[in-house]
Amino acid sequence: MAATTDDTAGHTDGGDGRGDASGPGPEPAPRRRGRLAFAVSVFGELLITTGLVLGLFVVYSLWWTNVLADRKADRQGDKVRDDWAHSAPRGPGALDTGEGIGFLHVPSMKNGVVLVRKGTSTGVLDDGVAGYYQDPVKAALPMTGKDGNFALAAHRDGHGAKFHNIDKVHQGDPVVFETRDTWYVYKVYAILPETSKYDVGVLSAVPRESGVRKPGHYITLTTCTPVYTSRFRYVVWGELVRTVKVDASRTPPRELR
Amino acid sequence: MYGWIWRHLPGNAWVRALISLVLALAVVYVLFQYVFPWAEPLLPFNDVTVDHQ
Repeated sequence: MAATTDDTAGHTDGGDGRGDASGPGPEPAPRRRGRLAFAVSVFGELLITTGLVLGLFVVYSLWWTNVLADRKADRQGDKVRDDWAHSAPRGPGALDTGEGIGFLHVPSMKNGVVLVRKGTSTGVLDDGVAGYYQDPVKAALPMTGKDGNFALAAHRDGHGAKFHNIDKVHQGDPVVFETRDTWYVYKVYAILPETSKYDVGVLSAVPRESGVRKPGHYITLTTCTPVYTSRFRYVVWGELVRTVKVDASRTPPRELR
Repeated sequence: MYGWIWRHLPGNAWVRALISLVLALAVVYVLFQYVFPWAEPLLPFNDVTVDHQ
């Protein structure tokens, strides 16, 4: 109310200053219109503000979260590489599930190297990493050497968007998982471009939806689809082709060269 | 609303413009630092896992 009065008073003053010749104009009319105009202008400003905030939210989700996540993932990745460089060699099957267990290389996604950590909670995935499932199905880690499914999830958009280009992965493309001592080379053999978010069968040790029937060493990548939404899930399956021992200079396998 | 803020800022137009800019940046900071991180998990844009829920 105070603002209304101020507003009207200001306008009236200005008008009086300019139009002295016309004398005192019709006073009540501008005040009534002023109140309506004030209400309309506040409403308009609220709409503009809402639009700006929503626009900023898009900037936040698609850009800023990536900046933060990439920074975090880089730091954690460096730490893992540091630990690898400074720790004594371990026997096969040794697990290090602390900060990260290894790195995922998917050349067809063109997103560099993705750190892999335990769990698929928001807290883990928001750090710009790929997480291996603990729930609803426990993923089988390749280092154990046992049959099973190494099931991973990562963000499609925002928070590093590590699986953004999952739709660029085709059958036959290599997926390489790098650990301290071994390169695990998988080959993509099946893709499910759209499935329900309740479709936990895609994670099972023998993922029947991908067409396999026998136990083996599988890898599963899951993320959301279509881009910028979470309506469905996109799934890519690979099977272990071979393993390569890491040499002194960490020469990548030929699939990554 | 914005007009009201403008009229209640001290100083001449330049000082007011500067203060407005600082205020706008403060609002953006609060949004990015506190409001959006709080709101994001409540919105259905970034669920990437399959589960039973």
